[in-house]
Amino acid sequence: MPRHFPLVMAVIVAIFLLAPIAIIVPMSFSTAISFEFPPPGYWLGYYARYFHSAAWLNATANSFAIAFGSMNLTMLVAVPAAFGYVRYRFRGKSAMNLIVMLPLIVPGVVSALGYYGLFARMHLVGTHFGMIVAHSVLSIPVVFLVIAASLKGFDRNLERAAYSAGAGPLRTFLWVTLPVLRPGILVGALFAFLHSFNEAVVAIFIAGRDAVTLPKKMFESIRLESDPVLAVVSTLLTGAMLAGVLVSVFIRQRAARAT
Amino acid sequence: MTGYLCLRNLVKSYDGKINAVDDISIDIARGEFVTFLGPSGSGKTTTLSMIAGFEQPSSGAIELGGRDLLLSKPYQRNIGMVFQNYALFPHMSALQNVIFPLKMRHFPGREIGARADKMLALVGLSAFAHRYPRELSGGQQQRVALARGLVFNPDVLLLDEPLGALDKNLREQMQVEIKRIHRELAITTIYVTHDQTEAMTMSDRIVVFSSGRLVQIGTPLEVYDRPASRFVAEFIGDSNIFAGTIDPSQPDIVDLAGVGQVRVAAAGAPHGAVDLMIRPEKLRAEAGDAAPDLNRFEMTIDDIINYGDSILVIGKTRGLPLRARLFGAKADTLSPGRVLRLTWAPADAHILARR
Repeated sequence: MPRHFPLVMAVIVAIFLLAPIAIIVPMSFSTAISFEFPPPGYWLGYYARYFHSAAWLNATANSFAIAFGSMNLTMLVAVPAAFGYVRYRFRGKSAMNLIVMLPLIVPGVVSALGYYGLFARMHLVGTHFGMIVAHSVLSIPVVFLVIAASLKGFDRNLERAAYSAGAGPLRTFLWVTLPVLRPGILVGALFAFLHSFNEAVVAIFIAGRDAVTLPKKMFESIRLESDPVLAVVSTLLTGAMLAGVLVSVFIRQRAARAT
Repeated sequence: MTGYLCLRNLVKSYDGKINAVDDISIDIARGEFVTFLGPSGSGKTTTLSMIAGFEQPSSGAIELGGRDLLLSKPYQRNIGMVFQNYALFPHMSALQNVIFPLKMRHFPGREIGARADKMLALVGLSAFAHRYPRELSGGQQQRVALARGLVFNPDVLLLDEPLGALDKNLREQMQVEIKRIHRELAITTIYVTHDQTEAMTMSDRIVVFSSGRLVQIGTPLEVYDRPASRFVAEFIGDSNIFAGTIDPSQPDIVDLAGVGQVRVAAAGAPHGAVDLMIRPEKLRAEAGDAAPDLNRFEMTIDDIINYGDSILVIGKTRGLPLRARLFGAKADTLSPGRVLRLTWAPADAHILARR
């Protein structure tokens, strides 16, 4: 194998990954009336249009609301589940583990179809609540794994030390257990938020008209109007994701330095 | 002596079949430094956990100052604890770690700073107050843990193998440090270790554990000179042990199997089948004009270990293993294959009844 082969491969992979961004970002500043590359000229008009479009802003607000709700619901389920799973022995423990992991195994489209059938009957299609529940079910397995892993590495003598310092169970949890586990919990929460913010397949099936999120709105936009505002949204979304990933890297690095 | 901290018939079983702690009763005086010594799995840490409240005994009682300790949760007990892995809170500085118990126990605000400062000074870490545990060495971390365990004036301080993770030099330094702090604060202390040297040098009394049972309790010298069983004799210090018998009509003579008759101090010795223990440092190289009542061993040398201050000679007497620690002997007069004549005084042997 030639000496530079790995480097060449890395560059090729990077080009494949970055090419769409390199095309989309200039297009968002383009003066063209439709998608055109290279852009005939540059302006900020489509950014202005995005910030004045009720439909796009509504989808953005929905995305934030649903991602925030899904993050909270995910944490509310995954954190106690991880504590129960790591710290206690009970009947049906491995069955519980399997059930929590199941959403990872089922293909996304199949889940989406399932939600569509079930939620239609429950009148949850097109509601924020339905979207939040569906997105949470899909992110719970990953967040459960992240929290369970950091709990397994948790030294329980820290809790004993807190007890002997005079802290009861609640204060021990708030002052010692939670702060020590904070990096894992933050990374889990961030994942849940981003996952919901990004999710398209389930959204296309069940978001309906009233709970349209950015990914669904983008999908509709490309099918119906091929409006260059789409490039603006894509650019903003990419920036937001990049910021999210950077924050998670920062959290991990701080946690690594703390131990 | 009435006990301050009393363990009464303490039993702990995890599975209802095997007792991890089996009928332990100890009375500990106020201000005493007691070491729980034993191999791993002997029940010493489990006993400590029950005093701290992390484990509930299956039966038995623990009293502190006449009050039933088992009625209170661990965080309601006024007991400090130091762990082998330090268990410092990683998200708090040294000072914050030391302040934590004061806050949790609702000490008045103006007292908190002064107490924490005083305690950090006592362990010699005033200059490191604002460092985080990850920025401190192992020895420094253990000092912070010690300060955290002592700062709220606990009735009892529990130390669970606190020096186990430190290297040898640091360990000796910390032994001295812990003894000094114990002297200054006069706090009732229980120290768990499997290191017999630590137990010998630090304790007022040693409690020897084996398989969940208490096998001996006494001062370091009592435990060393008059071990209660062959297990204690072999676990603490180096020892030579010979099987023998004592005829009740001649209580000062032991007939050692394969060696012959030797003279011992008769008082209180058991009869019948016995084990005779003699510490290697009690054997001396024969000086020619030996007193007539001394016992004699002829030893064929197998190996020599020179410690500088003494020489450990390993060999056999009449085919039975024998170790002698000689002080002031010349190493060049000793070599494998040679025969060494050793003497020992009857009072230096210790007789153990055989079970």
